[in-house]
Amino acid sequence: MLLKDIRDYQILFLGLFLFLGIGTRDWTLRPELIAVAIATCLVTQWIFSLVTGKEQILNLRSALITSLGLSLLLRADHWTTMAIAAAVAIASKFIFKFGDKHFFNPANFGIISALILTPDAWVSPGQWGEEWWYGLLFVGTGGMILQRIGRWDTTAAFLGTYSLLEAIRNIWLGWTWDVYWHRLMSGSLLLFALFMITDPRSIPNSRIGRVVWAMCIAGLTFILRNYFFVSTAVFWALFALAPLTILIDVLWLAPRFSWQRGDEQAGEELLTQHS
Amino acid sequence: MKIFRLLTPLLLAIVAVLCFAPAAWAFCGFYVAKADTKLYNKASQVVLARQGDRTVMTMANDFQGEVKDFAIVIPVPTVLQKEQVRVTQTKIIERLDAFSAPRLVEYFDSDPCASAYSDNLPQSAPAPASERREAGSARGDRSLGVTVEARFNVGEYDILILSAKESGGLETWLKRNGYKIPRGAKQLLQPYIRSSMKFFVAKVNLDKFEESGYQFLRPLQISYKSPKFMLPIRLGMINATTEQDLIVYILSPQGQTEITNYRTVKIPSDVNIPLFVKDEFGEFYKSMFQTVYTKENRKVGFLEYAWDMGSCDPCSADPLTPEELKEAGVFWLNDNSPSNVPVRPGFRGSFPSSSVFISRLHVRYTRDKFPEDLMFQQTANSESFQGRYVLQHPFQGELKCQAGREYKRSLPKRFEQEAQTLAKLTNWKIQDIRNKMNLSVGNLTYSWWENFLSWLGLN
Repeated sequence: MLLKDIRDYQILFLGLFLFLGIGTRDWTLRPELIAVAIATCLVTQWIFSLVTGKEQILNLRSALITSLGLSLLLRADHWTTMAIAAAVAIASKFIFKFGDKHFFNPANFGIISALILTPDAWVSPGQWGEEWWYGLLFVGTGGMILQRIGRWDTTAAFLGTYSLLEAIRNIWLGWTWDVYWHRLMSGSLLLFALFMITDPRSIPNSRIGRVVWAMCIAGLTFILRNYFFVSTAVFWALFALAPLTILIDVLWLAPRFSWQRGDEQAGEELLTQHS
Repeated sequence: MKIFRLLTPLLLAIVAVLCFAPAAWAFCGFYVAKADTKLYNKASQVVLARQGDRTVMTMANDFQGEVKDFAIVIPVPTVLQKEQVRVTQTKIIERLDAFSAPRLVEYFDSDPCASAYSDNLPQSAPAPASERREAGSARGDRSLGVTVEARFNVGEYDILILSAKESGGLETWLKRNGYKIPRGAKQLLQPYIRSSMKFFVAKVNLDKFEESGYQFLRPLQISYKSPKFMLPIRLGMINATTEQDLIVYILSPQGQTEITNYRTVKIPSDVNIPLFVKDEFGEFYKSMFQTVYTKENRKVGFLEYAWDMGSCDPCSADPLTPEELKEAGVFWLNDNSPSNVPVRPGFRGSFPSSSVFISRLHVRYTRDKFPEDLMFQQTANSESFQGRYVLQHPFQGELKCQAGREYKRSLPKRFEQEAQTLAKLTNWKIQDIRNKMNLSVGNLTYSWWENFLSWLGLN
């Protein structure tokens, strides 16, 4: 039962990062906030499942992933902020739906809501530093999950576009290449590219759609970061362009992803194709 | 139709971009001597007071050479007018330094035979004053794509604001006007020119300087409006051969400020160290900083202090008065705000929020590990932090009771622990530390096996 679902790996890896971050990085992360995030996510999930009556029993995994994502990325001064972020994150899954599909990444939605709605939330983009072995760890673990869910195209399109744009800018400005590598080697950027924009349930279903969508996010991130000096550009870009998923799904039809193997053809197809 | 499908998301992305708002800027210049003076900039101090996208930046000037040789070139985000530039008092940076410096605290053990409770009185000794340095040069003419956007005089300084079209032109212009530009400046000026930045060029007006009667050059303070919150350190690395120290005092209305493109790491704090460090705290701090800097692979910024400016515990200096804060560039204090209530000096200020939060960042940077300029962000993190080192004096009186004997027996282990901590923090030789400690705690004797056991217990 355990580790059958790919999400179990995701939970395992995110938990590992959290553990590593607390242990080896100088994070202002408070254990009670992690507890609040997890509890709020689970409770909200449970309440919404009860109310809508749609979800079969409890989607614990999804809620747990969201809470781990929030704990990894979001910082807050008060526990209430974390609770708000967690509740809103889960609620977004049930509220912002087009047909049967939620189009906001829950953790990202929670982060942006907390940044907008509360006075004391922030994200620390520099928290991972640029140590190469973290990069390797993220790429290894993320790559493993992407391989199984068949969403590597999204990450590749995002990172490819973003690094290309940064390269052009670097050449134009006349910076040396170490500036470029320093900008790209940020652990937070990798974590985002591998674990956040690849959530197969909320991103476009068709491959071409995903590639176009990821490129748009990369472009918007680039612009927000370099011309508007937003340090949390990636999250805003994903937030702003998430609704685009609906349009892209209409333009390029493809079956929706499912976590259960063989449950739907889509999942089956994707899994066999890449494993 | 296909084109339409591709274009729609792109168009929407562009619309999303347009919903946000623009601007640009940057800092920290290089020395450009007008004569062949030996110049080097090893450490600098900068105060950044920021709310929203308004920033007031104060740069300490501890230029070491002849006053007439002083000149500085700094990239700035916008054209600055006379009202945006002023000189301020050197004292204000010294006050901020003293208030936020890492501190040594002393505690005295109470008589273990007297009561179970120890009421330790913390006392703080001010910390090592940080070193600084700062400077650069320039002046006016026209051609080469260089435009003099503004020219004015502030205090003892002559100021020019230049904009340039290309770096070669700017370099030639500066050279023609008598500024000694370091080799390699051209390549580094280009990115700033391309980012539409202007150049703030200051030199000393000798007549005004003599009139002013000041011994030293006063800090320059500039204010501007820009969403970009950064310090340009690249230019300053041109004429630096070794690592440089930068201390940034960031004043914000809400909470801690952190670096977004490098890790911000807290300096080791709250550790018990041997008593003899009292006489060499400066040395201790320098060694400790060097050790942790090396340990972090020389590529992080250190947080030395983060506190609400209304209080301190323990205080290494009195909190700044509202007037001093204003002098330091804090512009968001209203005259009727509660923060104008005289600040209570002394320690254990309950929590009178003064709406000014200070973060003291200490960055030691080199060209290879810090390729990019420092970018900052203000956060809501109101957690207090200070570099604080504890001296715990053992009780010196006579010990006659059982508890006293036990206390006495526990001391060697404690001293050894302190020695180990110190050795680990500073990389000093443990044997040297032990020798020094024997001198300062010579009246306490303990048998060889106690020593041995405590040694075993710790290893």
